Amino acid sequence: MRRLISLLIIVVISPVALAKVDLVTLPSRDTVQLTIYNSADMTLVRESRALTLKEGKNSLQFSWANTLIDPTSLEMLPKADADKIDIAELVYPPRVTNLGLWNIESGVSGKVPVEITYLTSGLSWRAFYMGTLTEDEKTMRLQGYVRVTNNSGEDYENAQTRLIVGTVHILDEIAELARRQYPYGRPGEIVSVPEAVPMDREERMRARVVFEAKSVSLAGRPKEIRKEGLSEYFLYTIEGTETIPTGWSKRLLSFDIDEVPVINLYKYEEERYGRNVVRFLSFKNDEEHKLGQTPIPGGLLKVYRAAGGQGHLSYTGQSLFKYIPVDEDVELNLGAVADVVVEPTLMDFKTENYRFDNRGNISGWDEIQTFTIEARNTRDISVMIEIQRNFDTPYWNLEKSGDFGKFAKIDMDTVKFTLNLQPRSTKTFQYTIRAYHGTRQENWRESSQ
Amino acid sequence: MNSKRIKLIAIMLLLVGSGVVQARIKLVALPERAATVIRLDNPQATLIEEERVLTLQKGLNKVDFSWKGVSIDADSIRLVALDHPEKVTLLSVSYPPNEAALVWDISSSDNFAERVRISYLLSFIDRLITYTAIADKAETQLDIKSFLVLRNFSGEDFDKARVLLDYGEAFEQGIDHEETKQMLFLKADKVPITKIWTFDAAKLPWDPEQLENRNVGIPVSYRIVNDTKSGLGEFALWGGKARIFQDDGHNSTIFLGEDIANLVPVGEKMELYIGDSRDIVVTQRKMTDTQINIRRNNKDRIVLFDTDEEIVAKIENFKDSPAILTMLQHIPGQWDMEKCNMQYKRKDAYAIEFEIELLGRTEKGPAAKELKVHYHRRNVRP
Repeated sequence: MRRLISLLIIVVISPVALAKVDLVTLPSRDTVQLTIYNSADMTLVRESRALTLKEGKNSLQFSWANTLIDPTSLEMLPKADADKIDIAELVYPPRVTNLGLWNIESGVSGKVPVEITYLTSGLSWRAFYMGTLTEDEKTMRLQGYVRVTNNSGEDYENAQTRLIVGTVHILDEIAELARRQYPYGRPGEIVSVPEAVPMDREERMRARVVFEAKSVSLAGRPKEIRKEGLSEYFLYTIEGTETIPTGWSKRLLSFDIDEVPVINLYKYEEERYGRNVVRFLSFKNDEEHKLGQTPIPGGLLKVYRAAGGQGHLSYTGQSLFKYIPVDEDVELNLGAVADVVVEPTLMDFKTENYRFDNRGNISGWDEIQTFTIEARNTRDISVMIEIQRNFDTPYWNLEKSGDFGKFAKIDMDTVKFTLNLQPRSTKTFQYTIRAYHGTRQENWRESSQ
Repeated sequence: MNSKRIKLIAIMLLLVGSGVVQARIKLVALPERAATVIRLDNPQATLIEEERVLTLQKGLNKVDFSWKGVSIDADSIRLVALDHPEKVTLLSVSYPPNEAALVWDISSSDNFAERVRISYLLSFIDRLITYTAIADKAETQLDIKSFLVLRNFSGEDFDKARVLLDYGEAFEQGIDHEETKQMLFLKADKVPITKIWTFDAAKLPWDPEQLENRNVGIPVSYRIVNDTKSGLGEFALWGGKARIFQDDGHNSTIFLGEDIANLVPVGEKMELYIGDSRDIVVTQRKMTDTQINIRRNNKDRIVLFDTDEEIVAKIENFKDSPAILTMLQHIPGQWDMEKCNMQYKRKDAYAIEFEIELLGRTEKGPAAKELKVHYHRRNVRP
């Protein structure tokens, strides 16, 4: 460990705490635990050290130059003789930076185990995924990874590493708190939250040599990651300990599930995707899909497809996806495609049922449009297509005919047709929409009942 | 108080022979500052009270009070005689030009040493309150610690001062210029909490499917009551930054979130927003929104109408544990409820609130409920 965070015990003869003399011990960390967040640039560090205290007043100096520690988060707790040890105050002395003094009144002398916790910036993690579809695209091997990066300025050796999945609410950036000249700022000055400084993680990652070997446990197998729910978060605990020097990253396998059943879902909605069909890979985070043990943290999934029997792959696309709770459907947007086609065609347009006001002006009318929709699957696998149509009025009636599959009203001005298409097949259906305008809207209610 | 800083706030006694002072001569011995009190009961300003002994002579005395390198509100300076208030009269206060100073004209009926108390508002010295709390794993109670943080950037060192908050005993504390001190001043264990999830339809997106790859976070808060049942209730809890942790069941904690606690008077509730839940999902859609009861003028123009509106909200709990979701729906203007499949209470004229009890997820899937609200807005003008 670099000696950036140092801990000194000073025996204080006079009550003036600033007498930095009589260095007694410099205890090293016994254990260290990192709990790393990814929704904010923040890590909770918990370290245990054995202090040698004398009966009476002790002063303990903690300094953190060149690190990204938030000094306002520092806390120390004795883990033995807690009733005999009074941690009276934490002093940030004047005209000295990156230094705190704990004034401790001890009723015991000798070694006392303590736990020191603080929040630091500069450690981060993210989840990413690799999906490999079988040739028939009915199942996918899904591998989840986490990548932990240490840019904290501090080497953490043999640290128990834990990752938090969830969105935590914080008021100030830890990095900003770490940079403050005075830990709590100055009175009378407005301590503003600085504009979010882009982490520029990608750039930093490119500039760095990345250690991406799988972390291997002593048992000669990849380390396991234990997952458990806490409050609104999920806690991932990596087996054993990790050493991540500052500037380095580490990739760890989070899960590896083969043969996850997937649906090839295609969507067509002009208002959202233009006149393109967009491909989605759909599955559910549940036991039926061999998942469902824990939520899946958001991340980027790169999808490949098996090509030929030699283990070759072809790259299908990638999708950034959100956090998926257990039992929720997953829909991964892989982008626009050309091999599944949806073509709506306006086949007929007319207006009728005109109403006039007492000046002879038009006050109401109906507009009737008939569409033919053709859906073509040119692929050699079966697919599901969702076609969503939006109307610009809540006053409408719809009649449908042909092979329209499953129909649903989504909301007051949106409907959805869901079709299943066999390999290399086409389906066609029609719908006629009558929209009521102006005073004719008053007739819509009777006609819709 | 150290000798360097004593020059910052100086007090001088000027003996005056004649009634008219041409130039102020400052050469009398500086009376040492005695008992000093730093009053931090008002978060807006810090009041310093200090005692000094003035040697007064019978007749008119001029006492010069000046300061340098500190920011004192000159209008706030007060002087009170403590030993012989009946024999000492403050006649006037003068402010010399272009100086951080004032001169008291004091009339004394005899010669004696008088203890006086000088008080003034001093800038750049204050206190903050911070909270650190650890929730148990079941999220039913909190162990709360509150810290007092004294910050002194006033330009003045205080060697020994009595520090007074708005409650509790005064305590002795020295604090130098540019020094910050953090002290534990409240500890309350096992304070009961209520966990609250809130969906406000005016603030959160209605349809998560429309958001592509973003989750909608439902804000989660802890509610604490400042009363004796909670082991609190002795005094108002000051506002400050609160950091909440949770016992993880492995002799460690995780950080749950932080919020600014407002000042909470005795008997009142404190709500701390800790983070967002992504395991409760609300999908809300408007299924009907049409005009009815249309009234027209002579020119056949619509002048008044009612609406027919229906909202359907599907609420899914993907968590293992049950939850109570507070849902706020907003209906502007005059309105009547036609039909609603859940109980609600009127929060104000334009908002209704539902307390929706959700079971935990089971093997069959998420626990889901569907809220249907069918209402009419009345007498709407186009």
